[in-house]
Order: sequence, then C-alpha cells, then structure tokens
Amino acid sequence: MTDAVRVRGRFEDYVLLWGLVLVVFVLSVCPLARLALEAIAPGGRLSAAALMRVLANSTTWTATGHSLVTALGGTLLAVVTGGTVALLVALTDVRGRNVLVFCFVVPLLLAPQVVALAWLQAFGPSSPLLKMLGLAPVLGSRNPLYSAEGIMLVLGVQYAPLMFLALRAGLRTLPQELIEAALSGGAAPLTVLRTIILPLMRPPLLAGIVLCFVSCLGNFGIPALLGIPGNYVVLPTLIYQRLSGLGPDALPDIAVLSTLIGVIAVAGIAAQDTLLVRRDFRIVTASAVARPFELRRGRVPVEIGLWALSVVVLVVPLLALILTSLVPAVGVPLGLRTATLDNYRFVLFEHAAAGRAFVNSFGMSAAAAVVIVLLAVALAYFLVWRPSRMLRVVQVVTEVPYAVPGVVLAIAAILLFLKPLPILGVSLYNTLWIIVFCYLARFLVLGLRPVIAGYRQLDRTLEEASQIAGARLLRRLRTVILPLVAPAAAAGALLIFLTAFNELTVSALLWSTGSETLGVVLFSFQQGGDSTYAAALGVLTVAVSIALMLSTLVMAPRLPPGVLPWRD
Amino acid sequence: MKEASRRSFIAAALVAGVGLSVPVAAQTVSGKLVLYTSQPERDASQTVAAFRRAQPGVDVDVFRSGTTEVMSKLAAEFAAGQPKADVLLLADAATMETLKKDGRLLPYPEAKVEGLAAGSYDKDRTYFGSKLITTGIAVNTAAKLRPTSWADLAKPEYKGQIAMPSPLYSGAAAIMLGTMTARPDLGWTFFEKLRADDAVAVRGNGAVLTAVANGEKSYGVLVDFMAFNAKAKGSPIDFIFPAEGLPAVTEPVAILKTTSNPAAARAFVDFILSTDGQKLAVSMGYIPARASVGMPSWYPAGAKINLMPTDIAAVVQTNARNLSRFAELFGN
Repeated sequence: MTDAVRVRGRFEDYVLLWGLVLVVFVLSVCPLARLALEAIAPGGRLSAAALMRVLANSTTWTATGHSLVTALGGTLLAVVTGGTVALLVALTDVRGRNVLVFCFVVPLLLAPQVVALAWLQAFGPSSPLLKMLGLAPVLGSRNPLYSAEGIMLVLGVQYAPLMFLALRAGLRTLPQELIEAALSGGAAPLTVLRTIILPLMRPPLLAGIVLCFVSCLGNFGIPALLGIPGNYVVLPTLIYQRLSGLGPDALPDIAVLSTLIGVIAVAGIAAQDTLLVRRDFRIVTASAVARPFELRRGRVPVEIGLWALSVVVLVVPLLALILTSLVPAVGVPLGLRTATLDNYRFVLFEHAAAGRAFVNSFGMSAAAAVVIVLLAVALAYFLVWRPSRMLRVVQVVTEVPYAVPGVVLAIAAILLFLKPLPILGVSLYNTLWIIVFCYLARFLVLGLRPVIAGYRQLDRTLEEASQIAGARLLRRLRTVILPLVAPAAAAGALLIFLTAFNELTVSALLWSTGSETLGVVLFSFQQGGDSTYAAALGVLTVAVSIALMLSTLVMAPRLPPGVLPWRD
Repeated sequence: MKEASRRSFIAAALVAGVGLSVPVAAQTVSGKLVLYTSQPERDASQTVAAFRRAQPGVDVDVFRSGTTEVMSKLAAEFAAGQPKADVLLLADAATMETLKKDGRLLPYPEAKVEGLAAGSYDKDRTYFGSKLITTGIAVNTAAKLRPTSWADLAKPEYKGQIAMPSPLYSGAAAIMLGTMTARPDLGWTFFEKLRADDAVAVRGNGAVLTAVANGEKSYGVLVDFMAFNAKAKGSPIDFIFPAEGLPAVTEPVAILKTTSNPAAARAFVDFILSTDGQKLAVSMGYIPARASVGMPSWYPAGAKINLMPTDIAAVVQTNARNLSRFAELFGN
C-alpha cells in the first residue's frame, strides 16, 4: 500500500466522519436548539422569565418526580419480561419459538393509546373477560389502572419488545464453545447464565434498558389515558396541559420543560455508560448458538407461561380492537345480529385519506428505517472503534429527540422549517419531507443503540485484516462489517419501522392534505367519537403488517443469519 | 383608510353577489385559502366541499386536528413569523378572544350578522359563532338513575360513576368550568362535591363518550352532538338537558390579520354564516347560530334549550386561576 493511497484513505475517513457528525447536528441539535432559543429569548429578546417561572412552579417538580417513578417502574417491568422471554426463546428448547417471537413483537404495532384503552376496558366494570369470570368490579368502582402502578404496568407491557429485540439480537452472537465448556465442567445452567451469558450480554442489555427508559420517559399516550383521570401528571402530559391552556408563554414554557426531559434522559444514559467503560465485551467468533439448555420437565410450565404472557401482551388489546371494529357504534353489544363489517367498508372504500395514510406511513417508516440503519452502521464504527470526547457528545445528543414528546419535536420542526431553507430556497413545510426529517431525528437512537451494541460484541480482527489487505473504509463497512452487525441492524430497523408506522404525536402537527399518516387518521376518528372506525383501521394495520412480516420469510434464505427475529 | 374602504366595498359587492346568485361571486373570488380547524374530520370535509360548490374558484387547504394541536401549530408559526392560515374555525370563543387580544385577527365589520343569535359574535366583528354546541349530561341507558339537573350529579348516589372532560386539556371544558363556577347555584361547591363523588376528568369529549357508551361510567358530562350522533348509530346512550341550563361553545370562524387572500377569507366567513352554511351545520347535527334555518332532528320539538350565559371576557380572565384550582382539587 503506497503512502498516497493511505493518505487518500485517511482523507476519506475524515470526510465520512465529519459528514456523519454534520448529519447528527442537523437532525438532533438544530430543531431543539431552535426551540430552546424560544425559552431563553422569546421573540428575540433575552429573558430568564420562562426559566424562573417553570422552575419555581411546584407542578413542574411533581411531574418530574412522577416521570422518574413511572419511567423507572415501566423500564424495570419491560426489562424483566422482555429479557426473560429473550433468554428463554434464544437459549432453551421451548417449542413454537417463531410464533412466540411473532406474538411478542406485534404489540409494537399497536398505538400506545389503543393498548392503554384496551387494558382499561379489560380491567373495568364493562370488561367482557372479567364478566365471564365473575370478577368484574361493580359499576362505578374506580379502575385500578388509573394510577401510577397502572401507568407503569402498561408502559412495561408496551416496551418489553424493545428489550426483547435488543437482547435477542445480542444472543445471536453468543459463543457456543464457552457455554459448552462451562456446562461440561459441571456448572449449573443458572451459574452459566450469571457468570458467562449475562456478563457477555452487557452491551445489548444496557442498550435495551436505555431504550426502554427513554421510551417510557417520553411516552404521552399512556399517561394521557391513565394519568389524567387521577390528575397524576408527568412531564409529557404537563407539556400538553401548557399547550392547551394556550397563552403567550406556552412556547417558552414547553421549551423549558422539554429541556428538563432531555436532562433526565441524558443523565440516565450517562449512568449506564459508566457501567460499560473499560470493559471488553468482544466475542471471538460469531457462531450461531444451539439451544444449550434443555428444560426437560420444566418445558411445559415454561411454555404455558410464555403463551400466557403473549395472550396478555397481544391477545387482550388485539381482541378488544377486533370486537370494537365489528359493532356499529360504541357500546352496542356484539352479537350475530349486531355484528357488521360496515366500519371496514367505510375505512377501505369511502374514506380516501385512510388509504393514502397507509401508503404514506408505510413509505416514510420504511425509508426512515433504511436510512437510519445505514447511518447507524457508519456512525457506530467511529463511536465504538475510534472513540473521542466529541463522539461521546454526538452519541448523547442523538437520544434527546426521542426522549422529548413528539409534539415538542414537531413544534421545533415548524420553527425551523416554516421559512424556506436558506440558500436552497425550497420549503419543506407542509410536505412529506418535514415528517421524514422528524422521523429520522426522532428514531435515530432506535437504530443506533442496537448497532452500537452489535459492534461492542464484534472482534475487530476481521476488519483489520481487510484493512491491511487494502480495503477502504466504505468497502469494509459494506462487505465485512455490515454482514456481521446485520442481526443488530435488522433489529434496529424493525424497531424503527414498527414505531414510526403508528406514530401520532409528531405528525399530528405536521401533516397536510395529501400527507396524512395512519396515526393522524386514527386520532381524527377517535377524537370525533368514531372509535369503531379507528378500531377497524387499527385491525387492518396489524393485519397488513403481519402479512408483510410473513412475506419477509420468502427472502430469508438470502439474508445474513439472525436478521429476522421471527426466524431461527 | 382608502385601502380599507375599497376593501369593504369589494366585500359588500361580494356579499351582494352571494345573495343574488352564486356564479357572480365565483368570478370575483379565487386563489388559495388555508383553513385551520378543530371540527371533526367528517364535518370539516363536508364544510370544505360545500364551500367549494359555492366558490369554485377557491382552492382550500385544510389542517384539521384537536384544538390544542391546531393552536400549537399556530403558536409555532407565529413565533417563526409566518402564519400560513387564512381562516380559523375553532371550538371556542375564549381561544379566539386570546388571539384577538394578541392582535392576530382581522375585523370584518361588513359580515352579515342580522338574524344570528345575540352574543354569538364578537362586538368588534373579529370572530363569529357558527353554531351552538351545548354540554349536558350523557347517560348510559342501563344506568339506574336519571339525573335531571347538574346538582343531581353531586349527590352521593352517583359516586364513582361520572366522567367529564378535563378543563386542563380541553378548551371547551375550560369554558364550562369558568361558566359554572361563576354561578351562585353551582359554583366551586359543585365541583368539590363532584370530587368527593370520585368523578374522573378524562382528556376530551371523545373519551367521555367511549366511557359512557361502554358502560365503564354510567354518567358523563358531554357535548350534545356527540351523544346524539352515537345514539343515532345505536349506542346505548341518552342525553339529558339539566334544569339549571347548559353551558355552550359557539365554534367561531375568524380571519387572520396576516391572510394573503382576504377576499376568499371573507367569502368563507360569509358562507359559514349564510343560510346554506347554517343548514349544513344543522344537517351535521348542530344547533345553528341562525335560528331561522331550523333545528337538528334531535332537538326537543317545540322546547327551548335553556342556555347558561357565558361572559367570555371574564372566563379568559379567570381561566388560569380556575385551572390551577381545578388541578389542585382533582389532584392526588
């Protein structure tokens, strides 16, 4: 390799690195910095009034406390359930694994507010399930889900798949040799789990924990449905309160409150990162592991437990959705005589926007997933293998747009893009592109976290070998690294797609005629009291998505192993 | 001055044109009109379609969402210095009053207000109520009791069975709170009793409807049209007109000062207040602002709904205090 070639290679590396840093700056920093400007200088005049007003208000601190409590509780539940399921599915000989994985991933497709509503009904006095069991609470008793515990429970259920996907992708790289050695040395399975598997899985575990924490912190739909009735206010609902009681102070106030959420998220991330420092998690071979643990007599009980869990996370909300979609109006009891497909007919054939929304949401989510994963694979290369202080900052700022409520990011995007872009003179406002921009900014971390975890488990020798052989960085990324981190990248892409597909809070402010999203149409129906149309649309969304997920099985033989979580 | 009088002349000519025959007006107004509205989806698209029939020369772009979302979008656009909307059609007058105070609204002194309900429009003619949306008591048909007044709801027999929209999240509910707490017969005592009865405040009217229709709660504080539209489709729900009267919002229409197409914006206001526009509101199940066009089919024949008068200026003034008192009262 001549010097000239080496210099050119290094130059290309720099261009790539700074290009990526620029992209993150535009996506993650620009919009929220523009909003923060409203906090400290509303209308262009510097003022600390908003800051003082918000920080001096006791509601702010109550909400902050509540946010911490529910986010930590929800995270704990999500991590324990998602993690346990991932370990059982990946390491033991339970049967029906693929179907179980499917059942556990699909709930991500259901909008959080839909899931929360289904759970509310399932536990309330009108619950068909509890009525059947004779356990229905008397009419007028308070629904137990209207509480901090209720919020934690539903948050935990909603986000357990995040943990599951992150850990399952990590477990793909578990080296068989180590476990076999330990087992043949007489170690009990739980000892192997504690001393070998969990320590090796620290990067994906921590990635999952952080994703769950940030997701719980920024969730609006669940505390809106379960917290508002008991006036249990968290930061995202407090922001919404400030917005609806609109006065001239609304924007500066929500900018300050959003900063508070950002600070909590960043603190959480910093705490977990200290746990990773100066540790080596590289795994020498990427051998796909066979199921090392036989459950023997425990298999049937474990299987029953897993199926019961999937009933709880998938069947309860989905069934509620299907039942609602079949009645002519809310509250009509479902029977042979009342059942109707009218809601489906309306959504499919009479409501032009529903079809358009489906195409828009599908296209934008898929585009966001692909672009983010490609960005993440390149960015993680520098973050993990060429770390620097600047890159630490880059990584942390990617978390913030996901932690703040969607409505805040949307307002920030309006402030940024209302006027045509400088130099180019084009305006993104009122086009699909402003929504795509927000999706890229918001969901970047969902792709980046799993990919970073994937890198941390990679041994760099392969990459170094190809470097010595003269392959340039882009080529190494494409031919060596991408196949190795493919399972993690695919898990990330899936997370992004599923999350963006039903997303509401960002697009609710940014859509315009022709650029409706599924979330917007669902919300419009719900708000107008047309829950039956909303349910029909929800069922169709899930059905089409499941069909799409199944169709990927056709391509499976040509993909690197582990890319599809629902296929061994 | 000259500019203003010329404009009003055109507007007057326009109104005359609409009154005489549609095609004349169609020639005078054209271009693009951007409408921000919090109307329900179906109503918004019907309104726009009907306006387009009256003014085929005007292209209408609509942004429809909840009042909070619409106002957030507007606030961000104001802050960035370039509001995109020409006309607004929003749930309540208090929101309009706030915009008016900030100098965002364009007065339309020539608007045809004759025949509109007194007090339904701003005296400075910056916003005009398009209909009346009353709030009463929704009852699940399986409920044991039939309340006849607001005061009934505060009785211990109703404990744990009431849902209402939260004024912390809904502008219309904030007006209701301001109206009811200002009355000597209800006042804060009423809300304190509701609290003692374990009433829950949910995010909006849609959530109240779902709770009552599903039987999760037996009674709900709900807007009229939502209850009646659900009832018409078969939901087990009834609507009661409480004896003390019903607070109401007017869903006003207004023109933004920054509009780039004032002629089309005026034409839109004219259409909403016209006989045709008002008949459209009736066909959607609303009480019109112009009583002469008739009443929706659910309206009790021959009866007169007893409305609670609302002092919008007072509500705007007391709103912040009311909300924090409510939050404290219904807090854990």
